[in-house]
Amino acid sequence: MPRIPILMPQLGEAIAEAVVRSIRVKPLDRVDCDQEVMEVETNKTNMGVTVPCRGKVVEITAVLDASYPVGATLGYLEVTAADAARAGFKEPGPTRGKRKPANRQATGAAAAKQGEAVNGGIHFRVDEEDAFTVAEPTGVRPTVGLPVPANATGATYLSPRMKARMQELGLNAADLSGIAGTGAGGRVTIEDFEKFVRQLDSHAQSDASPMRIAVADAMRRSCLRPLATVGRPVLLDRLLMHRKQSPSKPGPTLYVIRALAIAIAENTAVGGRLVGGKIIHPRSIDIGFAVEVDDGVLVPIIREVDNRPLREMVEPYNQLVRQAQSRKLSLEATGTGIATVTNFGTFGLVWATPIPLPEQNLVLGLGAGRKKPVWSDEVEAFVPATEAELTLSFDHRILDGGAAGRLLSRVADLLQKPETL
Amino acid sequence: MGQLDGGRKLEFGSGVREGPEADFRGLSGEIGCTGRKPFFRVTRVSAAKTHRSPSARAGSKHQTSAPHELLLSTYKWMLLARTLEDKLASLYRSGKIVGGVYLGRGQEAFSAALAAHLDQAGGDVYAPLIRDMAGRLAFGEPLIDPMRTYLGSPLGPMRGRDGNIHRGRPREGMLAMISHLGAMVSVVNGVLLSRRLRGIGGQVGAACVGDGATSTGAFHEALNQAAVEKLPLVVAVANNQFAYSTPTSRQFACADLVDRALGYGVAGHRCDGTNLEDCLQTFGEAVRRARQGEGPQLVVGSLLRLSGHGEHDDAGYVPAAVRKSALAADCIDLAGGRLIERGWAAEVDLATWKSEAVNRVEEVLEQVASEPLPDPLGETWCALSVRHLCEGNLGA
Amino acid sequence: MNVTYLDAIREAQAKALARDDRVFLYGQDIAAFGGAFKATKRLAEEFPGRVLDSPISEDAMVGLAIGAAIDGMRPIIEMQFADFSSIAFNQIVNQAGTHFYRTGVPVPFVIRLPSGGNKGSGPFHSQSLESLYAHFPGLVVLMPATVEDAYTMLLDAVELDDPVIFCEHKLLYYHLKADKLPAEGLPIGKARIARAGTHATVVTAGAMLHEALKAANQLAEEAWEIEVVDLRSAKPIDTDTILASVARTGRILCVAESFPWGGLNAEVIARVVGEGFHLLDAPPLRLNSRDTPIPYHPNLWAAHRPTAASITTALRKLLGF
Repeated sequence: MPRIPILMPQLGEAIAEAVVRSIRVKPLDRVDCDQEVMEVETNKTNMGVTVPCRGKVVEITAVLDASYPVGATLGYLEVTAADAARAGFKEPGPTRGKRKPANRQATGAAAAKQGEAVNGGIHFRVDEEDAFTVAEPTGVRPTVGLPVPANATGATYLSPRMKARMQELGLNAADLSGIAGTGAGGRVTIEDFEKFVRQLDSHAQSDASPMRIAVADAMRRSCLRPLATVGRPVLLDRLLMHRKQSPSKPGPTLYVIRALAIAIAENTAVGGRLVGGKIIHPRSIDIGFAVEVDDGVLVPIIREVDNRPLREMVEPYNQLVRQAQSRKLSLEATGTGIATVTNFGTFGLVWATPIPLPEQNLVLGLGAGRKKPVWSDEVEAFVPATEAELTLSFDHRILDGGAAGRLLSRVADLLQKPETL
Repeated sequence: MGQLDGGRKLEFGSGVREGPEADFRGLSGEIGCTGRKPFFRVTRVSAAKTHRSPSARAGSKHQTSAPHELLLSTYKWMLLARTLEDKLASLYRSGKIVGGVYLGRGQEAFSAALAAHLDQAGGDVYAPLIRDMAGRLAFGEPLIDPMRTYLGSPLGPMRGRDGNIHRGRPREGMLAMISHLGAMVSVVNGVLLSRRLRGIGGQVGAACVGDGATSTGAFHEALNQAAVEKLPLVVAVANNQFAYSTPTSRQFACADLVDRALGYGVAGHRCDGTNLEDCLQTFGEAVRRARQGEGPQLVVGSLLRLSGHGEHDDAGYVPAAVRKSALAADCIDLAGGRLIERGWAAEVDLATWKSEAVNRVEEVLEQVASEPLPDPLGETWCALSVRHLCEGNLGA
Repeated sequence: MNVTYLDAIREAQAKALARDDRVFLYGQDIAAFGGAFKATKRLAEEFPGRVLDSPISEDAMVGLAIGAAIDGMRPIIEMQFADFSSIAFNQIVNQAGTHFYRTGVPVPFVIRLPSGGNKGSGPFHSQSLESLYAHFPGLVVLMPATVEDAYTMLLDAVELDDPVIFCEHKLLYYHLKADKLPAEGLPIGKARIARAGTHATVVTAGAMLHEALKAANQLAEEAWEIEVVDLRSAKPIDTDTILASVARTGRILCVAESFPWGGLNAEVIARVVGEGFHLLDAPPLRLNSRDTPIPYHPNLWAAHRPTAASITTALRKLLGF
């Protein structure tokens, strides 16, 4: 009776091996098709190893708590020839125990055929009675292509020529996102690229402004990191009431800036950057805010916001807005902050996923306020309230959803006590 | 081995000490040993000593000449070579010479005697070995060449590109040896074949080797080749008993290296390498026969290297018995003694010549010391004479 | 008229002998016998005294050529097989290769090396030694791949003032034919575009040129246009022509019959990567014979050296990147 292997199953994307945690059968046990005979553990999950058809366990080669790659043989079943064929095994025995290297070097050569034509355009020829005819060597495997370097598959791999050509044309990798690569691993070949460049000529073109290019550069660099966004609603009535009663009429953005600064000051790590194995904490809580200008955005910075009460910042804030709009920001105000607040609500937007600046971990967004009925315990009825969405985008390497949510909730809480800001 | 006894008698020619003075003006490149007029004649009455190879005219009566002034001039080249090499050794010890210094101490007679019979101006070609300072000078090498080459002067024939004993002036008949022993013999063959193909006769080529080189394939191939072509080649084998530290007992197993002449089908000669007169006489004979078209001549001289392989080597491996043997005699002392003995020179002459040699050496040293050093920026870094095919700068 | 590659070599020697008194030929069995491959057939009769048999002494053969060259002659040495030049290695690389640099006196001579494999020739009659000699300074190393080049390059080699290692391929001797001999050819040191293309460049020389052209023709049926560069000269290497080709194609495969470790292919690739990294859209590839002695049996031999089939396979890899 044929023997067929019990194999380490496919374990899901990007998982190459698993540890055998339990073995539920022993030799001579009879098993049914798809019966779980072992349990294996990956770094994400536990799963069962099943057998492909009914039969008798004849050998368990796997060792408890040892790790095996996908496709490795863990044991053998003895099965009927019919069952083996049904399960897709033509030959008994270990067939997939070891995986072959993905790309084999060309192994020498099949010989040329006798009398093969030689390029007629060349001014010499090889005689038909050539000495090249010999037996065809076996074992020459067709090859698909060269392997793309590890960790650089698909569109992220750029050949030296691609890089040189892109530099020549002033292009960035992000500019290639529209090209479907035809090369190995889906990479963009120079032919793909040149075709793309030629095709661009059929479109109307206009120059991007320096501001546009600067924003593009910052966004592209920022997106080298894994970014995520969380959001939650916040009631703005108290803030708006406080604002109404303040003679200086601070803008809602300023309340949020101050609240964010206080929240970060309570745990500066959330405002830090990750470099290598270290969290780099901010030296001071300097917060920027987005100001829309012609064809772009400027982000003036207010220094040490955690140490400055709201009322003291109103005039400097207003001045920065004016300076930004007239593009006359001081050097002090154009430096680096640790977080940015953007009031996308001014555009009527209720929700957005802003992208933090490349040197910052956090960008906090404020959506447009809307009237909503809110239950009031005092009057025991729904009363109108103003609610907006507060969003926080962050570098997921530094913060997880929970931590980001707690930070955001702390900001929302602080906004409920505007008089303390 | 006794000098000039055992079958030779001298017949004196004309007057004593009247030969032309050897010209020490090495810088000019015009060198002495011009006199070929016989002043005395050595008559060989027995061939037994030199003619061990039957094919090499065994038993023939033969006469050759070693004129008295040839003896004197050759002695002076030996003296100059010794003086120069003593200076080079001193420069080496004071760190002024990089690389090695290889001396011909004890081999001057054998070396100079061959060159004394060569005619540089007449087109003879000479491939010296590392211990042939005396022969080089006698052949016609300007005295400044060795000094410039050892000190790496860009004005010397090797221009700092090669050093010490690897110098030569190939266009003037003196080949520039490579370190691989035996390799120069076939090159001399090539020059001689070239002369033949061009219809030039009467010129000889000389290649110098030591006992060690006779063990190489290159030596064998070349001597056989010369024999096949019957080239006018003289191969001088200075058997100085040691190849670096290896004694002849570990180098070859034949009774005498000259025995090999028979196997190659060439004439063989032996001489006492410590005895200038014997060397002059033997080489005179060998060169004459080669010049007359009698084919290659193998001359083996027995002597002892009176220094280490190089100045880095104290030759401690030379047994005391060998150091005390007749082979260890200093050929310059012997030749000087013989000149005085024969009345061809006085003590004061020897002292004068020595001091002249010292002056000449100091003069060239002074000149070379003031010369510029090789400049890597001015170097072509091109190993081809066809410059546009050069890839010499790829590595830099 | 039908001229073979071997005829071209014979005719070039005849012409060199006829027009230059300094030329003479020296080698084993080359006089009355006309050479092991008949490359000197009847030359001894036509040029009495100038075509000389040598003893089996490769070292002394080359030493003699060096001496004659120093003395103003232009000898041509025939090694019976390239493989045997190992005996003369010292004279070639240490004597000939260093002579001009050391002394300022050039040594103009040519060593003809019947090179490369043939069915059943085995380990000692099959070697390709161009990489070995190209490694040493002071030598010019030529690799004619066509009848025309065999003729003009040999004549040019004789006129060159430096030692030339002339690697003629035995496989081409009888089989490669041309209608007539050319009046002149490309200068020494220039590579030739043997076939124009746009998708990948193959850089090769000698008999491998013909394998590469076959591979290119095969791929042309699938609309791949392969450019094939015939180096002609292993030293110097015409880097400009290679870089210009890579600029057109972005991909390079180097093919040589010599052993893989180091060598001509590695040299070409090092130059392309060093000077033309920005031109490469794919990793540069090379294809050599295998790293074993050259086997005797035709089945093994065919799988030892690059062939049109293995070049096609390598090109598919390159094109698939």
